[in-house]
Amino acid sequence: MAVFQHITQSVRVLLIALLSVPVFAGLVGVVLPAFGYFPALNAFDFNLGVFKHLFALESIVNMTLLSLLTGLIATALSVASAFLLLSVFYRSSYLNRLQSWLSPLLVLPHAAAAIALLFVLSPSGLLASVVSNAVSVFSSGAENLSNTQNVLPPSWEFPYDRFGISIIVALALKELPFVFLIAVSVLSQPQVKRKFDGYFNSATALGYAPVTVFFKAIFPVVYSQVRLPLLAVLAYATANVEIPLLLGPNNPPTLAVAVVQWFNHVDLSMRFQASAAALLQVVVTLIAIGIWLIGENIIERVQGRFYTNGSRYTGQMFASFVAYSVVASYSLLALSIIISTTLWSVATFWTFPTLLPEGFTLLHWKTTLSALAEPVKNTVLLATFVSAFSVLIATLALEAEALNRQDNKRSEYFNRWVGGVLASTLFLPLLVPGVAFLYGLVWFQLTYFNDAVWLHLFISHLVYVLPYVFISLAVAYRKFEPRYIQVAYGMGKSPWQVFVHIKLPLLFAPLLVAFALGVAISFSQYLPTVLSTGGRIATVTTEAVAAASGSSVRLTAVYVLVQIFMPLVGFVLAWWLPTICFNPMGRYTLLRPRKSKL
Amino acid sequence: MTLKLDKVSLFRHTDILLNVNAVVNAGEVLSIMGPSGSGKSTLLNAVAGSLTAPFSVTGSININDICINDTPAHKRGVGVLYQDPLLFEHMTVGQNIAFALSPKSALLDKGASEPKLSKKQREKQVSDMLAQVGLSELQHRPVQTLSGGQQARIALLRTLAAAPRVVLLDEPFSKLDAATKGQMRKWVFEQLKARGLPTLLVTHDVEDANAAQGQLIEIETC
Repeated sequence: MAVFQHITQSVRVLLIALLSVPVFAGLVGVVLPAFGYFPALNAFDFNLGVFKHLFALESIVNMTLLSLLTGLIATALSVASAFLLLSVFYRSSYLNRLQSWLSPLLVLPHAAAAIALLFVLSPSGLLASVVSNAVSVFSSGAENLSNTQNVLPPSWEFPYDRFGISIIVALALKELPFVFLIAVSVLSQPQVKRKFDGYFNSATALGYAPVTVFFKAIFPVVYSQVRLPLLAVLAYATANVEIPLLLGPNNPPTLAVAVVQWFNHVDLSMRFQASAAALLQVVVTLIAIGIWLIGENIIERVQGRFYTNGSRYTGQMFASFVAYSVVASYSLLALSIIISTTLWSVATFWTFPTLLPEGFTLLHWKTTLSALAEPVKNTVLLATFVSAFSVLIATLALEAEALNRQDNKRSEYFNRWVGGVLASTLFLPLLVPGVAFLYGLVWFQLTYFNDAVWLHLFISHLVYVLPYVFISLAVAYRKFEPRYIQVAYGMGKSPWQVFVHIKLPLLFAPLLVAFALGVAISFSQYLPTVLSTGGRIATVTTEAVAAASGSSVRLTAVYVLVQIFMPLVGFVLAWWLPTICFNPMGRYTLLRPRKSKL
Repeated sequence: MTLKLDKVSLFRHTDILLNVNAVVNAGEVLSIMGPSGSGKSTLLNAVAGSLTAPFSVTGSININDICINDTPAHKRGVGVLYQDPLLFEHMTVGQNIAFALSPKSALLDKGASEPKLSKKQREKQVSDMLAQVGLSELQHRPVQTLSGGQQARIALLRTLAAAPRVVLLDEPFSKLDAATKGQMRKWVFEQLKARGLPTLLVTHDVEDANAAQGQLIEIETC
């Protein structure tokens, strides 16, 4: 075997190690303190005392239930509405437009999304102002009201409500685009698409309405393919920190937030309790997954009857209603988020319920941008390295897979086994709650390489960036026209030459998209950044969260806009560069202005 | 150059697809006709070295009496031409051909003494090849701007530029319109015969086989 093949095969194994070693090491790092072993604090004997103490806490049941239920309900809501949306639009020409409108929301950091929702939905937010103004306009005719200046904000409990409804709303809104886009990516695979076109034609010929065809024939197939990513969404929703931290109740908070607070407590002995709670978080996530699987099972049993009951129009009205409301509320929300954050970022004095600030200033931008110079530099540097490295690893691993497929003789079983392990390892960092393994990882890292802060940061971002980069790239890589490769082999080009001269240039666009996605994922990381550096390195996201929980609304608005803007730069580059690089056609059309057809 | 298929049998899992026993001499074309799914493209994959599961091959495939069954695809010197031209879109027409040009000049008589061609020599070879077939004006064009017939011609030139030992044609004319098809057939077979290449043609158009003027193997449906 040539050197290149050896390298790609090793990278494939390396990828598995890069994802699983940090997660497992991290888990060990919290299991030990949870059972009372923590050498740094002179604790060496294993016991269950920490857990006894944890379960004796008054609020523990409340915190656990809050995490479990907000995660489950938000995921169920987002999955249900994503599929209802898809059932209405899956054959419509709006699908592409929806896809491109929802994609930016995918890369919007959770922290930015939560802060943006605060701006719009809080009692003194834009929505309340609009409603209050509308009310006063309608009632002014009757009572000649002139005292709109003294109207108090309504007292709805939007952020920080006890039952975590704001967490559910924010999580559901944030996860819906992800679920939707994952399902669309399955639907748009050529073979799948052809098969579904057949299903659709034969079912409509039997008199089934499009939505009903979707739920009776297409949904079951798509769902089975998106199951693993959905479980990752669920796991993430039950253990997310940014959203409950910014929007959730404080006393008691969700379990994940409590874990973070205890780990960061000045009293180091709180670490024991935090470790035990982190393990409890793993159990909570597992229970959520278990409940989800039971739910799937029940639906599977009921659906057999649904397929064969012969009804032609089931769900048509309901699905359309939900789908159009989802589209409408997203549009409204996106618009009001952009308007209110932009206005706040340049506002001077702005009180409820006036619709516009009294004046405009660039002061907040100046203040923030000068304070942000260092964090922006850190963020961009880190994201570029992590994402570039991820693209490199993912590409070589996918190339190994492609080479194995061409050559079915060589150690087939081993390769297939590695492939299987790789496919499930990709979801490992997404399924195991970050609060559980990141702390343990930090503990390991501090014990062995205390000074390598950037290395810790790099690894903790890598475990999140690499899976997404791989998944994004795999679609294009696996669809690559095999006959191109055969043609090049026919010219005597080695696999290495084919890889460099044919594959990489032809896959330039998807490579850049994967890179931009990786950059965006790295930008959005909050917990890994805070933990692995112990606050020693600030990024835009950590600064934004800090700003949101502290200082002025105006500065926070600037942070949010910077957070929205930064990932977009990457995607614009990913869209633009392929039109000028490795593309004689692009240069050709640029150099020769279009001649009129005369 | 001679291609010899010595008791070659193709299998899908354990089911036999076809048996071939044939010798293709320099400048000859062996045509294989059969319905889709009969395993004729699989035979080309076996010769090219890109056979994948669930297919397998027994017997021996020889070029100049050397068995190539275990030779990797890129070391076989087997050029392939498909029904799609498959020109690389990140290269111009000239670059496509230059990419195929082997670093050592086995192709043209001139300058064969030098071990490696200079950049200038390579460029000259490319423009010579295009000039020989009257397509010089296409050299710096993006491949997407060519007509179907032009793309097909460039695809053949590119295959020939690599100086293959054997050429495989996988329904190469099936996507061309009727007028271009006749011209292309004549031109392709002329080029291949002029270079003395043993050729394997897979088709389900009897006209292709007639134009090839060689042996014909028809595969029956099982």
